[in-house]
Amino acid sequence: MQVDPPKSSLPKSSFTAGVVTALPIALGYFPIAFSFGVAATRAGLTGPEAFGLSLIIYAGAAQFLALALITGGAPVLVSAFTLVAMNIRHVLYGPALIKRVGPAARTKHAWAWAFGLTDEVFGAALGALARGKVAFSEAFMFGLGLAAYGSWLAGTALGAFAGGAALQNYPVIDAALGFMLPALFLALLLSILSRAQLPVIAVAMVATVAVTLAWSGTAGILAGMIAGAVSGLLVRRGDAV
Amino acid sequence: MRFEILALALIVGGCTWAFRFFPTKADLSGIKPDGILARFLASTGPAAIATLFVASALPMLTADVPVPLGLGTAAVLAVFASTRSVVMATLAGSVGYGLAVWLL
Repeated sequence: MQVDPPKSSLPKSSFTAGVVTALPIALGYFPIAFSFGVAATRAGLTGPEAFGLSLIIYAGAAQFLALALITGGAPVLVSAFTLVAMNIRHVLYGPALIKRVGPAARTKHAWAWAFGLTDEVFGAALGALARGKVAFSEAFMFGLGLAAYGSWLAGTALGAFAGGAALQNYPVIDAALGFMLPALFLALLLSILSRAQLPVIAVAMVATVAVTLAWSGTAGILAGMIAGAVSGLLVRRGDAV
Repeated sequence: MRFEILALALIVGGCTWAFRFFPTKADLSGIKPDGILARFLASTGPAAIATLFVASALPMLTADVPVPLGLGTAAVLAVFASTRSVVMATLAGSVGYGLAVWLL
């Protein structure tokens, strides 16, 4: 007679499991989005404009860069081209996630949940799947994505409402919030770290620094991702994250 | 909302959505587990996150001795090593960075 494993030992794949997995992201997103709302109003955008950027673009680094381009007076098409080039890295996330899940991956409603496939959501999904704590499902992806998106929107709204001068008298808090994004990336990196991927990480980091210093930040991001991923071709089978 | 900001948001938002959605529909059934594409995709995650960490931390290397960056990074590493929690490590890093700025 075959005995089924207890339910508690099975990986969860519900909407709620997605929300729970998103909690670290939501906690990290809120202060970063708050900073964005403050920075946007400081740059001369209205509250609805700041909120609109978060609602429609929903890509943190691109949104901060958009502020610099808007205040610098760059033409719309030039700004759009720069920001689109910066976000092109996202084309790698869907296939990497689906490949990780395997044939069980359903994508019927991906047109909706993939909207929320940000850097951090991708990292969190990959990390949770790698640790075996959750199983992929579209409900899980909706929970993960909506919780993160809600936090991003709420943080932006509050920051825009607080206004551009909100953190001027609190430089320490301003600095601490500014480190939230790199801290989140580093923690996500640690969560999916494996010995076999160390060369990939090293190559990506070196390429990012070199190309950023030699050319630009956007080029550095593209170079780091591509160089790291290409160097992964040297990783042996079964070692991959 | 000014037209140029709405137009910028719609163009960038639309393209970003397309970048995130359409590749999920790519047919991966023909990919061999030990093939070049499989290994490329498996290394994409660590490469992307490592890149974004460096890209976001690099502008903070303004001082000769980047004490806040060092302390913030050390706090993330220490707390993650002890708790294995992404949220605790993130918050600890932020607090560590802010404390270093406050003390200096």
